[in-house]
Amino acid sequence: MSREMLIEVGEKIKQHALKAGFEEVAVMTYSRESVMVKFANGEPSVVQNWTDRVAGVYLVKGQRILGTDIPIHNLDQVYKTIDSLLTMHEKIPPSMLYAPLPSPEKHEPLPGLVDQKLLKAIEDPSPVSEAIVESANRYKIDTFAGMVQLTYEQKCLVNSKDAQLVEDSTYLKVYLRSFAGDGSGQWSLGSRRLDMKKIEEVAETASRFAYESRRQEEYPPGKTNILLSPMVAGNFFNYIADMATASSIMMGFSIFMNKKPGERVATEKLTLLDDPRNPELPGSTSFDDEGLRTYSKPIIEKGVLSNILHNTKTASKMGGKSTGNAGMIFPRVWNINIHPGDHSFEELLAEMKEGLVVTNNWYTRLQNYIEGTFSTILRDAILIVKNGEIVGAAKKLRIADSFPRILQNIVALGKETYDMYWWEVETPTRTPYILVKEVGTSKHTA
Amino acid sequence: MTWNFEDLVVKAVSHGEKLGATYVEARYHSISRSGLSARNGEIIGAEKSFSQGIAVRVIVDGSLGFASTSSLTQEDVLATVEKAYKKAKSHSKLQKKPIVFSEERLGRVTYEAAAKVKPEDVDFQEKSNYHKELWKNVSTAISQAKVATMTSFYGESLEEKIIVNTDGAYIKSRIPRLSLGYNVVVSLPSKGVIQRFFSHAASGGYELINQWNVHGYLPEDVKTFEKILLEATKPPVDTPVDVVVGSEIVGLMVHESCGHPSEADRILGREAAQAGKSFIKPNMLGERIGSEYATVIDDPTIPGSNGFYLYDDEGVPARPRYLYKNGIINEFLHNRWTASIFNTHSNAAARAMSHEGEPIVRMANTYFAPGDHTFEELIEDIKFGVYIKSYMEWNIDDERWSQRYGGLEAYLIENGELKGLVRNPVLELTTKTFYSSVDAADKNLAFYAGTCGKGEPMQGVPVWFGGPNVRVRNIKLRVIG
Repeated sequence: MSREMLIEVGEKIKQHALKAGFEEVAVMTYSRESVMVKFANGEPSVVQNWTDRVAGVYLVKGQRILGTDIPIHNLDQVYKTIDSLLTMHEKIPPSMLYAPLPSPEKHEPLPGLVDQKLLKAIEDPSPVSEAIVESANRYKIDTFAGMVQLTYEQKCLVNSKDAQLVEDSTYLKVYLRSFAGDGSGQWSLGSRRLDMKKIEEVAETASRFAYESRRQEEYPPGKTNILLSPMVAGNFFNYIADMATASSIMMGFSIFMNKKPGERVATEKLTLLDDPRNPELPGSTSFDDEGLRTYSKPIIEKGVLSNILHNTKTASKMGGKSTGNAGMIFPRVWNINIHPGDHSFEELLAEMKEGLVVTNNWYTRLQNYIEGTFSTILRDAILIVKNGEIVGAAKKLRIADSFPRILQNIVALGKETYDMYWWEVETPTRTPYILVKEVGTSKHTA
Repeated sequence: MTWNFEDLVVKAVSHGEKLGATYVEARYHSISRSGLSARNGEIIGAEKSFSQGIAVRVIVDGSLGFASTSSLTQEDVLATVEKAYKKAKSHSKLQKKPIVFSEERLGRVTYEAAAKVKPEDVDFQEKSNYHKELWKNVSTAISQAKVATMTSFYGESLEEKIIVNTDGAYIKSRIPRLSLGYNVVVSLPSKGVIQRFFSHAASGGYELINQWNVHGYLPEDVKTFEKILLEATKPPVDTPVDVVVGSEIVGLMVHESCGHPSEADRILGREAAQAGKSFIKPNMLGERIGSEYATVIDDPTIPGSNGFYLYDDEGVPARPRYLYKNGIINEFLHNRWTASIFNTHSNAAARAMSHEGEPIVRMANTYFAPGDHTFEELIEDIKFGVYIKSYMEWNIDDERWSQRYGGLEAYLIENGELKGLVRNPVLELTTKTFYSSVDAADKNLAFYAGTCGKGEPMQGVPVWFGGPNVRVRNIKLRVIG
C-alpha cells in the first residue's frame, strides 16, 4: 500500500467519524509485510508470511473515549463500526482519563529506519535461512532451534488536530537456541537492519553457552552474586520500564506507585532510558499516537527516578506533561537503553569473585507489583564463577527477590552493550551485562 | 445464519491446489470484540474491535508454508496463497524430513455455541454501571486497610471460523465468549500490600455475569486480604507438612505440568526456542508420573467452557483426552503432523488464535479429575499442615518439571481444622513430587479461565483449567520475602 493511500484511508475514516458526530478523532493506519522462518531440530519447521492493513481509531464525544482496531480493506465496515460506537457513547459516562488531543508539533523525521537489504530479503528469506543453518552448525552442538523475522511497516497518523504523519521502517528479530549434551544456550538480536555478521554472532553465542553448560552440577539456592546477561537484564528492565508508565502506576502495576521523580530508586550506577530516537533499535519512532514528537529521556538517571512516561491524558490526570509516549489510550515504552559501565566481561567476573552468570530466563511473575516481589525461572546456561573465573555450569534455579532490592544492589555494568529482542524481551532493549550482589535464588524443595 | 467470505476460502484452497501444493488449508477467522475498562469505578473508555482475515497453510515439497492477510479481496487472498507456496518451496531444500499429516476422518459441519442472553441485547449502560457499583461495594468493605486501587475490565466477543482443506474438511463455527476481570490492591502502610488479579471467562452470553457473582464475593475477598495484612503469620517452612492445594492452584498446575508437557509438538522439539521442550520423551507413554489419584483430562467439548470447540482447526472431531490416567502418562495432545510422526491419529488439538496464527497443538479445558472426599474429609486427619487457596506469583521451567506457586490466601491446618491465616507460603516442587504425593482429592471440581500462550508469533488461546482441592503429603514449603 502506498503512503498516499494510507493517508487517504486515514483521512476518509477521520472525516466519516467527524461527520457522524465525534468531536475528536485520531486514526493510525498500518500496512505491514512480514516473514518469519521458524527453526526446530536444525531445520525450518514453518515459513510464515503476514500481510496486514489495519487501523487503530481513537474517538471522543462529550469527553467519552471510544476506540476500535479494525482491518481497512472494507471501509464500509469501518464506518459501520464507528457508527455503532457513536450509539455506545451515550451509554457511558465521560472518561476519567479524558484530555483534549494535543496540537501537533513540528515533525522531526527519524532517518535511517528502512534497510533496503532487509526489504529485499522479505521477498525471499531463504538465503538468510541458509546462512543461519550454516552458521549454527559451525559449532560443537547437537542441534538448534529459533527464528528469524523480517518486517516492513508503514504507519500513518491523521487526527482532528490536523496531524498528518507517515513513517516507514524495517526491523529484524532473531533468536536462536542451541543444545549440546545437557546444556543449552540462547541469544537474540533486534535491529532495524539486516546484518548477517550480527546474526552469525547470535548463533555463535547461543552455541558457546550450550557447549559451556553441557555438564551441570547442583548449586545451592540462597543469596548469591549474579551477573545478569543482556537477555535477563532485558527481561527485568522490560518490567521495570513498563512500571514507569503512568498507566501502570495508576492501575496498581508498579513499584513506582508510591515514588516521585527525584527519589532514589537504584544505585547511582544505573541510568535507564526510554530511547525512541535511537534508529538502530526496532521500537524507534519519530512521533507518538497523539502526533507528538518523541524524544529520548531517562526513566532512571544515576539511580534517581527521573521521568514517569506520559501521554497527554495521563499527564493531565497526574500533573505533568506528555513525554511523547502515547499509545492510542495509554502511554508505552518505545525502546529501552541502559547506559554501559566501564567493566570488561572478565573484570565483571573478577568483581563478582563468587556467584553465577545467568544467561537466560522466562516466566517472570510477580507476587505483588507494588512491592515488586517476583520470581523467574532461569533457563539455558547458568555458569558458576569461583575466584573470578567460570568453572562450570549449574542446574536450573530461580531468582526469587524483589525489583527494588535488585535495583539497589547493582554493583557494576559491562562496557559492551547488546541489542535484545525476543519473547521475554518484548520492548527492544540495549543493555550491557549487569552485576548484582546478593540476589535471592530458589529451587524446588522436593 | 449468513457466512461471509466462504467463497474466498474455497477459492484459496483451489488456487493452492492449482499451484501444486500437496496440501492446502484456508481458514477465514474473525473475532469481534467489545468491552470497557474502569479504574476505581470510573470508566476509562469503551472499544469495539474486529480482527478478521484469511490464513492459508500449504505443504510444498515437504515444506510447510503459512500466510495470512487481513485484506479480503480476491486478489489479495490469492496473492497470499502464492506467498505461502513460494516461501515454502524455497525452503524445501533445507528440510531434512518432509512434513506429512496423518490420515483422518474430517468433519463437514456447521455448529454454534449458545448465548442465553445475547450481550448486544443488554443495555451498554448496565455494563458501564456494573463497574461503578463494584467499586462502591469493594472500596467500602474494609476500614483499617484501604483499597488503594481497583481496575476492572469487561469484554464480550464472537469468534467465527470457516475452515476448508484439500483433505475434505469443511467446518463453520461461531463461539460467543464473555470475560470479566479485575486487579485490586489492598494497602496498609505499616503492614504492606496485597494484590489480587483475577479473570472470569467462558463461552456463552451475558447470563454469565450473574453466575460469576463478583459483586457478591469480591467485597468478602477484600475483607480477607485486609485480614491477611493484619493477622497472617509466617507459614511453617522448617519441616515438611501436609498441604491441601486449592482447586485454583491445582487447575494451573495441571495446565502447566500435565497439559503443556503432553503437547506432542513440544515433545518433538518444535517449540524448543520458545516455550521449550518437555520432560516427557516420545517413548514415555505408559510410564508412571503420579499416584493412582492423579488423572488429568483435557476436554474441548465441555459446554460453556472457555476452550470450547467441537472440531479443531484442521477439521478433526474433538473428544476428551486422558493425558495422565491414574498416575500413568496415557496420551499426548496431537495435531495431524505430530500424529503422523507418532504413527497415531490426531486428537484434535490444533488451534489458532486468529487469522494471524498457524494451527498448533494446544490445550482446551484441562482438569484434575475430582475424587470422593468432602473438603472436611480432606483435612480431618491432618495434624499440622497448610491449605493454600489462591495464588499470585508462579512459574515453571521450560521442560515443565520444577514449578513454583506463591500463595495469596492460605491457612494453617491444625488437628483437622482450618486455623489462622499464613502469609506468602510458597509451594515449590517438581512435577513428579506433586503428582506422586497426592493421596486424596475432594469432589469440588471448579474451573478457572486463562489465556494460554504458545507459538511464534505468540498465540493466546482461551482455555479453562481446573480441578478439585487435593491433598499432598510431606511437602517442605518456602516463603516469599
